Amino acid sequence: MTTFTNKAPGGTRARTSLYWRYLVEPYLYLTPAILLIALVMLFPLIVGISYSFQTVNLLHLDKGGWAGLSNYADLWADRKFWLALENTLVWTFGSVFFQFTLGLGLALLLNTRFPGRRVFQALVFLPWAVPTFLTALIWAWLFNPVIGPLPHWLAAVGALSEPYNILGDPELAIWGPITANIWYGVPFFAITLLAALQSIPSELYEAAEIDGATAWQSFTKITLPFLAPMIAITVMLRTIWIANFADLIFIMTAGGPANSTQILSTYVFTTAFKKLDFGYASTIAVALLGLLFIYAALVLALRRKFVKV
Amino acid sequence: MARLELRDIGKSYGTMEVLRDINLSVADGEFIVLVGPSGCGKSTLLRMIAGLEPITHGELLIDGRRMNDAAPRDRDIAMVFQSYALYPHMDVARNMGFSMEIRGARAEERRSKVAAAAKTLGLDVLTERLPKALSGGQRQRVAMGRAIVRDPQAFLFDEPLSNLDAALRVEMRLEIARLHHRLGATMVYVTHDQVEALTLADRIVVMNGGIVQQVGTPLELYDTPANRFVAQFIGSPTMNVLPASREGGDVRLSNGALISLEGLEGPVAELGIRPEHLDLADPDNATFTGSADVVEHLGSDTNIYAQIDGIGPLMVRQHGHVALRAGDRLGIVVQPERVHAFDATGARINS
Repeated sequence: MTTFTNKAPGGTRARTSLYWRYLVEPYLYLTPAILLIALVMLFPLIVGISYSFQTVNLLHLDKGGWAGLSNYADLWADRKFWLALENTLVWTFGSVFFQFTLGLGLALLLNTRFPGRRVFQALVFLPWAVPTFLTALIWAWLFNPVIGPLPHWLAAVGALSEPYNILGDPELAIWGPITANIWYGVPFFAITLLAALQSIPSELYEAAEIDGATAWQSFTKITLPFLAPMIAITVMLRTIWIANFADLIFIMTAGGPANSTQILSTYVFTTAFKKLDFGYASTIAVALLGLLFIYAALVLALRRKFVKV
Repeated sequence: MARLELRDIGKSYGTMEVLRDINLSVADGEFIVLVGPSGCGKSTLLRMIAGLEPITHGELLIDGRRMNDAAPRDRDIAMVFQSYALYPHMDVARNMGFSMEIRGARAEERRSKVAAAAKTLGLDVLTERLPKALSGGQRQRVAMGRAIVRDPQAFLFDEPLSNLDAALRVEMRLEIARLHHRLGATMVYVTHDQVEALTLADRIVVMNGGIVQQVGTPLELYDTPANRFVAQFIGSPTMNVLPASREGGDVRLSNGALISLEGLEGPVAELGIRPEHLDLADPDNATFTGSADVVEHLGSDTNIYAQIDGIGPLMVRQHGHVALRAGDRLGIVVQPERVHAFDATGARINS
């Protein structure tokens, strides 16, 4: 380390302080931030990941300790895990796809001129402000044939043979929470995409119109490329959120019937807090984390390839 | 190429009328400049020709066909915007070839046409750049290239040079003049800059307050302006306008000077004299006497801002050097055949 002794001006002090100033000093300034991040983010993450290599079960505290990869071996052989993974894909991409397309459509509608546009823009945002717990309860009731209209309507248009609760049907149950999630998530896409739409200069559309573009060509060749950065980032964020988003499913179906709506995050939740098996729950969570990492890397790579502006 | 015909065109937003009684016929291959102060409706008129603004009154004909309700893409015109409106996510070549891409033209045809246009505009080394990596002048060229590749019936320009610096503006002005000469296309050009109007136009349309003030060749507008607005708008420095009254066949100014004019009709309210149509003279024999307020020596010309006894400020432009300094006494004579008389409404009344 540097020692500060009295040296003549212009003496060798310059060389020693070079080491101090460029190699050590910057990190001292960064230390508080690094410590804070380590404390609130890295430390819990590492502890969580380390649980996945241990046996941590509150019902069998005597059997604690390192377990190597045995949790992962169990995971690989766990039929429920693979089912939950499949459900996670349906849940996530079903929700994101409809949230995105409906949100984009809504944003395009809200971007046109009509009387009362500001009121509508405010109203559209409303579902996003409703607590998810309430959203889940309302939709659970809507699907209940005793008090909700949806089964009767679905039966009336022929989608259901008779008005029963689809949340009790293993074939259809997952679409209950997905519907609630679509209702809940459309405003997010509508608002963010509307903001992006409004930033497109109107002259570009005029220029395209003069160049001979039809409305559809303007949309595909100007609107979509302009929205692409926003689409990439919002779809990525929403996918990660929704994959981790257990509230709606937990309240509406609690993963049932027969695990037909069990997704990885609800599986983590039930394993940790119902079976109190924290070790195995961490293993599932690490698997989910890994999958989301791969997904995010994929989206970012696609973004770099296609987004030019 | 195409003839444009505007018949009794008008435009109103609700009850507010912004354009009225526009009648204009543009011959095939003609270069028409719409000029006027900002807010006079010239850009609105251009956008109505392009189809970007609905026409609320009158008829627009392109090559004899009524185009009032045709979409912009069906009018077969190209437009260069003030902001250029280049597509920022496409490179120069794709920007220029966009109209062909839209029409589904074959890639090699598109490439050769874009390459040809890029070459004439000096853009051939830049075709792979995005607009953000171009300078203002280069963007301007790309916007023009896009119009050329479009190969339209008519070109519309909406103040295309107003975002460029002075030197570049002169250069691009020449470029546009060359382009018109080479393509022989019908062009309608909007500007508030009278120099652009005078240098580029076959005919100029001077507009003010949503009404056409005068249509004519640059020299017609300069020599015989229809009214006081055109007289003061066209020509630099601005024409002097002095209060005057009619006395028989002559005009009396407020300093007592009498100027005889030919072909006067009706009462005279004002007299307009361009600074370059005044000459310095011996104060004893002059129409105006006074003193020089400010003298600007421009080398080729000398601008003298004089304070005239009994009249007030008057500007004189003399060719070459004049050995005159601020505060000197001077006399000024008028070239009577170049004087314009206006009545109380501002209309020109001498022949």
